[in-house]
Order: sequence, then C-alpha cells, then structure tokens
Amino acid sequence: MSAETALPPDLENGPTDEELVAATVRGDLGAYDELIRRFQGRLYGVIYHLTSNHEDTNDLLMEVFDKAYRSLPTFRGQSSFYTWIYRIAINRSFNFLDKRKRRQGAMSLNELDEDGLPKLDLPDISPQNNPNKSIMLNELQNKLNESMLKLSKEHRTVVTLFDIQGLAHAEIAKIMGCTEGTVRSRLHYAHKQLQKSLGIYLKK
Amino acid sequence: MSQKQDFTELQKLLRLKKLETPGQEYFERFVDAFHTYQRREILQEEPWYAKVVEVLFEPWVAGVPRLATVAASAACLIAGVAFFLGPIQSGTAHLADGKVVHPRGIVVASAQNNESLQIQPELIDTAAGGDATELRPLYVNGHGAVAYDSRLAF
Repeated sequence: MSAETALPPDLENGPTDEELVAATVRGDLGAYDELIRRFQGRLYGVIYHLTSNHEDTNDLLMEVFDKAYRSLPTFRGQSSFYTWIYRIAINRSFNFLDKRKRRQGAMSLNELDEDGLPKLDLPDISPQNNPNKSIMLNELQNKLNESMLKLSKEHRTVVTLFDIQGLAHAEIAKIMGCTEGTVRSRLHYAHKQLQKSLGIYLKK
Repeated sequence: MSQKQDFTELQKLLRLKKLETPGQEYFERFVDAFHTYQRREILQEEPWYAKVVEVLFEPWVAGVPRLATVAASAACLIAGVAFFLGPIQSGTAHLADGKVVHPRGIVVASAQNNESLQIQPELIDTAAGGDATELRPLYVNGHGAVAYDSRLAF
C-alpha cells in the first residue's frame, strides 16, 4: 500500500481534522502530531510530484507543517483544514519552483540533465529480479517525470491531484482557488501534452 | 482508438507515480524529524528583516532584477527606515497575574524587570501539568524571557 493512500487506523473513528485543529489551538500538541500523521503522505506526494526531488520535498514538507502550525491560531475554518494545508503546500512548492527556475541559469552543468532540466531524484520502483523489465521501467519512469517537468506548475498540479492522488475536480478547484471549468480545461491540456510526449509508451 | 481511451492509458501510466514514495519508515520517523526541525528553527530564528532581505535580493543574485523588484526594494528601504525611527514595541504581553505571554508559547520566567532571571514555579505548573514538567531554557527573546513549550523540550 502506498503512503499516499494509506490512512491511519483510527481515522474512521477518531477525532475529525477540525477537532484536532481546535485541540492544537487549545494547546494539545499531540493533536498536531496526529494531523501531521494524517497528511504527511498525501502532502509529500503533492510536493514530490511538483519538485521531483526527495531532498527538496522533505525540506518543503517540514516548512509546510511549521507554517501551518504557526498559522493555526489565525485559521478561521472558512475552508476545511484539508483544503487549507493543501493550499499552503502548493503555494510553498510554487514559490520554490519559481526560485529554482530563476536560479536554473546559474546551475552548474552537473546539476542539469541533457534537456536542461534539473536532474531528477527518483526512487527505484523497478523489480530487482528481472533486469530487462527493470531497465524498461526505469526508462519509462524517467520519461514520465521529464514530461511532467515540462508542464507548467499549474498543469502539473492538476495532474498530480487528479490522476495521482485521485481528488475530485471540485476539491481541486477549492484547493487551487479556481473554477471547476478551469481545472477541467487544465487537465485536458495537460493530458494532451503528456500524451504527445509519452505516445510511444502508450498502447495503440 | 478514441481520445478518451488514450487518456485512460495515460492515466494508467501516471498511476505508476504513486509508487514513488520514500517508504513507510520515512513516514514513521517524520513526526520526530519535524520536532527536531521546529526546535532548530526556533533556536536559529532569523530576525524578520532577514526574510525581507532574502526576498528582495534573491532576484539580484539570480539575475537581472525587474523594475518591480527595484521599486519594492526602495519601498522596503523607506519603510525600514521609518520603522527604526519609530517607537520599539515588544512581542510579549504582560498580564495582570504576572504571566508573560509570547507568541512562541507560555513564558515561565522573565528578567524584564530584574537583574537575574526569576523562574516562577506556579507558571510551570500552569504551562504543562504538575511535577512531571521539566523546565528547559528553550527560547530567549529580546527581553530576556524564557519560553516553555513541552512539545519542544530537549
């Protein structure tokens, strides 16, 4: 089971996110730990699929939870905690990506791949007992990530939230602060772009 | 094959990315790592203007700054000068019962009016519950107060 979809065992019967937020604000710091456990996998996924780098994702995830913790007293509950913390994660990642883009010109050649994109930091998902399949999977993984990185950050975000994390259009719209129509059109455009660059790997 | 079916194949391929996670062990250790991070952040907290300087100067370092950056830099410089010429305000609030509240947490001791730091035991009890509480000098703010936060205890 992937960490992105894994839910803590007491989520069904335990306190709601909003109850944990209220408890944290009252000073029950263990409640915030519980919120971290609930969201760490999903937020890691969002940030990682935007940055494609484990180390950057780890740093950003820490920043996101720290920022959220400091801002909790001002959280008015107009949106759900879930939407709110996703927004923080996406905004932080966008800031990071803008900064990385500006600095890209100053990166050394060792830090860039042959397409001029930052080198990817990919975990090995290939089966160890089948070398041929392993090579193919690695190639596919590289190509998939390169294609994702060529999308704009907004398009990459909708693909991540919809196709990888399985969120509904309405939820994505709330998180990104746009209309459902915008989400659908971004998704359609992103799918077309990805299909163009990944065509040879798709079944005909 | 229709475009809809093509997207279905693409979506299957994208699901492969779900496997790109660092593993359960990473997530099991994350909360502890986060506490360490938070503690470090508090102890090494930069003054507020360091962030402003970073945001304003980052474009200058990375390349040619845009006109908006130059204008924002000038505005911040003026605001900064005005701030330093104005009265200094404390981030702490003094309550009637002698407690000092700081945005970082509950303050159990204060040297604001004394030569040496006076720890107030009744405030330790208030902070996190009785005899089991350990006092740690965690965060010394500009006014010589020690903030206690059981979550961040060493």
